[in-house]
Amino acid sequence: MKVICDRAALLAAVNMASGVVATRTPRPQLTCIKLTARKSGKSADLTLTATDGEAALRLTVAQVDVQEPGEAVIPADKLRQIVSAEEGDPTLTIETEDDACHIRGQDARFKVFGFKPSEFPSIPDFEKIFAGKDGGKTAIFTHTSDGLSTMIGRTLFATARENSRYAVNGALLKREGKKLEMVATDGRRLALARQTLAQSDKDAAPITCIVPARTLGLMQRLMDEPEVPVRVAVTDSQILVAVGTPEDGGIRAALSSNLVEGAFPPYEEVIPRDQDKKVVFDRDVLSSAVRRAALLTNEESRGVRMKFKGSERQLELSSRAPEMGEAEVNVELSSYEGADLEIGFNPTFIVDALKVVSDPNVVMELKAHNKPGVVKSGNDFVYVVMPVNLQ
Amino acid sequence: MPSSRRSIRPLPELLVNQIAAGEVVDRPASVVKELVENALDAGATRVTVRLEQGGIELVEVSDNGAGIAAEELPLALMPHATSKIAAAEDLDRIGTLGFRGEALASIGSVARVTIRSRTEAQHEAAEIACDGGETSVPRPASGPVGTTARVRNLFFNTPARRKFLRTVPTEQARCVDAARDLALAHPAVAFVVSTDGRTALDLPPGQTPRERALAALGTELADQVIEVSADEFDDARGATLWGLAGLPAIARATNQAQHVFLNGRPIRDKTVQHAIKEAYRGLIEPGRHPTCVLMIEMSPAAVDVNVHPAKVEVRFRDPSLVHTLVLRALRRALQSADLTPTIATARPTMLGPREIGPAATLADRLRHGPWPDSGAPIDYAATREALASAENGPVDGGRGSASGWPDAASIAEPKPQTPLPAPIPASRVLQVHNSYLVTQDAEGVVIVDQHALHERVMFEQLVARVSREPLERQRLLTPSVVPATPAQIARLPELAPLLSRIGVEAEAIGPEAIGVHAFPSFLFERGVDPVDLMSDLLERSNDFAPDSEEALRDVLDMMACKAAVKAGDRMSEGELAELLTLRDEVERSSNCPHGRPTSVRLTIRELERLFKRS
Repeated sequence: MKVICDRAALLAAVNMASGVVATRTPRPQLTCIKLTARKSGKSADLTLTATDGEAALRLTVAQVDVQEPGEAVIPADKLRQIVSAEEGDPTLTIETEDDACHIRGQDARFKVFGFKPSEFPSIPDFEKIFAGKDGGKTAIFTHTSDGLSTMIGRTLFATARENSRYAVNGALLKREGKKLEMVATDGRRLALARQTLAQSDKDAAPITCIVPARTLGLMQRLMDEPEVPVRVAVTDSQILVAVGTPEDGGIRAALSSNLVEGAFPPYEEVIPRDQDKKVVFDRDVLSSAVRRAALLTNEESRGVRMKFKGSERQLELSSRAPEMGEAEVNVELSSYEGADLEIGFNPTFIVDALKVVSDPNVVMELKAHNKPGVVKSGNDFVYVVMPVNLQ
Repeated sequence: MPSSRRSIRPLPELLVNQIAAGEVVDRPASVVKELVENALDAGATRVTVRLEQGGIELVEVSDNGAGIAAEELPLALMPHATSKIAAAEDLDRIGTLGFRGEALASIGSVARVTIRSRTEAQHEAAEIACDGGETSVPRPASGPVGTTARVRNLFFNTPARRKFLRTVPTEQARCVDAARDLALAHPAVAFVVSTDGRTALDLPPGQTPRERALAALGTELADQVIEVSADEFDDARGATLWGLAGLPAIARATNQAQHVFLNGRPIRDKTVQHAIKEAYRGLIEPGRHPTCVLMIEMSPAAVDVNVHPAKVEVRFRDPSLVHTLVLRALRRALQSADLTPTIATARPTMLGPREIGPAATLADRLRHGPWPDSGAPIDYAATREALASAENGPVDGGRGSASGWPDAASIAEPKPQTPLPAPIPASRVLQVHNSYLVTQDAEGVVIVDQHALHERVMFEQLVARVSREPLERQRLLTPSVVPATPAQIARLPELAPLLSRIGVEAEAIGPEAIGVHAFPSFLFERGVDPVDLMSDLLERSNDFAPDSEEALRDVLDMMACKAAVKAGDRMSEGELAELLTLRDEVERSSNCPHGRPTSVRLTIRELERLFKRS
């Protein structure tokens, strides 16, 4: 194999692939990136493949000149360090010699020992699966990169940090006809994002699966180009994502990942429907007020007290940490319907939600100091947050 | 029915005394105690105790006290005859060790006793003998001022009692302990104790209490104990205290190493024992007992020592005063002391002061192995030499000295003359195996167990927080379901006040489950699963009274343990620094709430020893 690559394009791909390699593993191949150089007629490309056993990523770099097709498997960290450090070079030459790999810049030469390409673990055949030819019960839908990215952004933050008995470290992905939903919860708050697919076969199989939080993060990084069609396929145990279509030069980036096994908590019944207090406020004003009120909270006294005074259309936010101090911030409300209420929330939970709503006017629905609060932005985003009991 | 009725009649005097003796004298050690107390009450400045066959054959106590006048000698052996009190009112202000007038008579009824004594006023001594209760007339004898009491053949006439005596070494050890206890309480008096001609104890007169304690218990304890004393406040309330408290590292498997004295009298008292335990709570593992010497002084009117014939038990007029006195003094001392255990690099010798012996518990044996020194290196050189001499006669191994190693002293470098440079501040911390932190202080290398220390720090913070107000609780979207037994569910209302203090809201949701509706915010942040904590709490709840402080501490400890950094958790430099800062701020950071040490220290001296530089 011998290729001359554009360094910037290669670096972007290597950086992303490095996110999928395993760090601690008895199989050294899982810490490597596999390079595959192809040439057919005028078109040539270099494909980077990485997998840690749970997830696999395949990226294609088109800005290459393939002089000799072939394969190489080299440690990801060394490849990343070298490509990243060769700042002065617009291009780098990669050439294999048995299991070793030579990387050359203008004034530097690196020889990195790797592994036999045949020893690299196999990854899903994306082309075959997305063509519907894998023979399994695979459900496939197409959405835009913007749409998916937004949905992930509106739910990923609410996933639990690790799997536990009360929450899963992932988000529910649900498709029924044209309706697409993503839901995430850590047991204390729940974020629900909805979108409508542009097209869907009427009899397309419904999808209900839990996608690991890490996979969602990787997916989001793949959606860096706006308005690109993205295909998602879900099998019994895996989710696969492909950017680029056959009509459009083939799959440019593809990701596969195992799904989280288990049942997602019944989330519909958690969304309250009998909230009798409705507040409308400016997203940025509230966000800033909460962040300032949170300055005097600590690990054990996390809550910010929100005192809604309907007649004055005022919200008084305050916090108090023993031995540290107190804070008070006042906010003008756009509107308030219902009786006065004093309720405490973890400020992070409020700010998290305000970060992901696009509408500058946000609605919050409340009921009582020990009942959930609901933040809404149109019909696309529903956020349920449980209060903290303040002293 | 044939009548088996026997008529009631008064018991003969000898039998009365023999029965009484059972209460006062149950083994040679009690004889030692009674006789030494008499000697001390007589104002002796020197007491000599001679034991033969563990005291079963002979207990002889000689003193240089006031002595007994010849004409009073027969009275000394009569029951309820004493010089120490005269009227009932005197019982309220007993200033002497003895007062019941029972001891000598009791001993005299079960042994062959001779007492030789001389007062200052007499020109010659007088001697009286009592053989199983039969007292002779006093006859002149020669001897110095003072009294010598000789007790032979204890229980010779009560074989049943004699049968209950233990082996000679055991009885001997108890005799020496009894004498040592009294010696501890009377540092000004010289004590010499010999067993079958060998000196077991030789304590010079005029020692300070500290000197005496170390001389009697072992000078090697000097850096293992801290001094304890009461303050003016206690003084004002008519009680004072001095003592030495053993560091948590030398805690024992039994409370035998707690020497408590009240007005110079060794006592065993539940109130005091509880106060000691309380003071060390969280510093030593449960099941281990602190070591200490405590001398409590208070007005004789504030305590009733006439509860038990051997006067080991006493009754305080105000037990809480004593409890507070002991607890406060010990706590203050322990809090101000550096309790970080040092790493013992010198291996104990074969018969070292380890707790192996008849009294060692099974746990001790398991801990240390069945051999006194299982860690001793195998001496291959000796084996080699033995083999060589058997086959070829003596051969020089050609490897230097007989031990196979060059003499350590011959290669030791001279000690540096300049003092060690002042240690640099502990800014650099090494995390080892993601479990231990290695840093340094003025004395050497400090190794910290990250989980144990973090747990301790969190525990103290939680205790402080909960004592102010309940923990903040975060409500859950749906209750976390904790499986529970019907009995546990039935206890839930009882637990409610405790749960609300620690920020948990739970209710029964079915016959075999409890639903957790709210949980402390900070535990969520630390990734503690509500189900995990609640299951543990419910299980533990059978063992405690839910409204007790103890239960609260127990539960907070559980929370701290679950929330703390675990062994194996990688910590950032900032976290390391913060944890070590908290170590200095938190009281009792030397031990985790379970009493295990959080840090150990390898001193520079020990390092030098390890590298053979000393």
